[in-house]
Amino acid sequence: MSAPTQNQSPDSQHTASDNTTHFGYKTIDKDDKVSMVAGVFHSVAKQYDVMNDLMSFGVHRLWKRFTIDASGVRPGNDVLDLAGGTGDLTAKFSQLVGKEGNVVLADINSSMLNVGRDKLRDKGLVQNIHYVQANAQYLPFEDNTFDIVTIAFGLRNVTDKDMALRSIYRVLKPGGRLLVLEFSKPEHELLNKAYDFYSFNILPRMGELVAKDGDSYQYLAESIRMHPDQETLKTMMDNAGFEQTSYKNLTGGVVALHKGYKF
Amino acid sequence: MLQQALTSSLELLINKALSLNINLVDLKKLQQKTLTIVLSELSFPISFSVDSNRILVSGLTERADCTINTSIKTLQKLKAEQQITELIKQDKLDLSGDIKVAQQFASLAENLDIDWQSELANHIGDVPTHKLVQLSKKLANKFQFAAKQIKADASEFIVHEKRLVVTRSQVDNFNHQVNEVSRQVDDISTRIANLSKQISNQ
Repeated sequence: MSAPTQNQSPDSQHTASDNTTHFGYKTIDKDDKVSMVAGVFHSVAKQYDVMNDLMSFGVHRLWKRFTIDASGVRPGNDVLDLAGGTGDLTAKFSQLVGKEGNVVLADINSSMLNVGRDKLRDKGLVQNIHYVQANAQYLPFEDNTFDIVTIAFGLRNVTDKDMALRSIYRVLKPGGRLLVLEFSKPEHELLNKAYDFYSFNILPRMGELVAKDGDSYQYLAESIRMHPDQETLKTMMDNAGFEQTSYKNLTGGVVALHKGYKF
Repeated sequence: MLQQALTSSLELLINKALSLNINLVDLKKLQQKTLTIVLSELSFPISFSVDSNRILVSGLTERADCTINTSIKTLQKLKAEQQITELIKQDKLDLSGDIKVAQQFASLAENLDIDWQSELANHIGDVPTHKLVQLSKKLANKFQFAAKQIKADASEFIVHEKRLVVTRSQVDNFNHQVNEVSRQVDDISTRIANLSKQISNQ
């Protein structure tokens, strides 16, 4: 299976009308996406960490470390780890902000949040972490609340990305920054082809074997291809009001870290 | 992502070493303190922060309480707390921020004492550990002896034998002389042959 043309402009994501969006390669009603994505993550939540390690050969840990290093987090900061899933970034942020700081682990999916909460509690990380089930488009926080907002491997699952970016901008303090870690477009054609082969032929089989759910990992591969490329996402962040936006390609552009400030 | 791979490995190693340490280590004084080290051999900084009973290693520079610019060679001497001021005087180390933080981290490194034998015994048993330690001691002794021998031989060579060794220019000169003698012998042989020929014709 090959990927269709990737990296659409923000507007072209809604192909048929404003009420439709993508779920992988399928075009669906916007209202259905949340429940369909929820279905995927309810299904994979318990095997999520194992699959992440398997699929990325452990490199996702380095991508997340890179995000932490780029965040400039200080003791006492308030951090929102949006679509935080099983809490990898939250765990690190919680240690780095210290007792005076706060970290909110937010995810739209209750199963992911439960797995994350159990994992962090098992690690003894309880003091400064709060758990919130929230939709990125309608963040239930006051304006100017957070010093840092991160969303790692979550933005591509959001129904209306522009709305989510505006919502994040609202809850950031002036001087605060957003970091978006997300799959993106590989820089070299050869890597792109190898990545396509891996994503559509090996990944779903791995999902079938380990998580007993090949369809969810087929969706993962498709959703990555439908996600905006580096430049498009940067433009979307600019449009949402972020300043000094920039991105850094990791592992040849398989993943990109976008950063933007609110002044 | 070399920086992230390195900090990740260092964090794992340091915290494992802390958990195996038999001396009492008090990290309270260093809570949420960060020491950043910039090594001349690396293109990125490495920061060490303390949270509860763990040391976090990252590339974050914004939170540094103390920053040290130095080289790997000097870093090895930093383990002794009292060395810091001496190294600054010698211009081998550039320090900015709170020197106490650097001293406390140095003291922490100095106090690390791990009973490797006991740790190994927990995994492979007492007898194999004893045998392994004996073997490693024997090997260490042999290596030490070999190193000592090589050192002695080398100094013997430098002090006494090197003087007697023929230099390259001497060898070249000798070769040149041999060639010259050989050429002269050839000339004489030709001359003798010619004279013999003349005598036999008469």
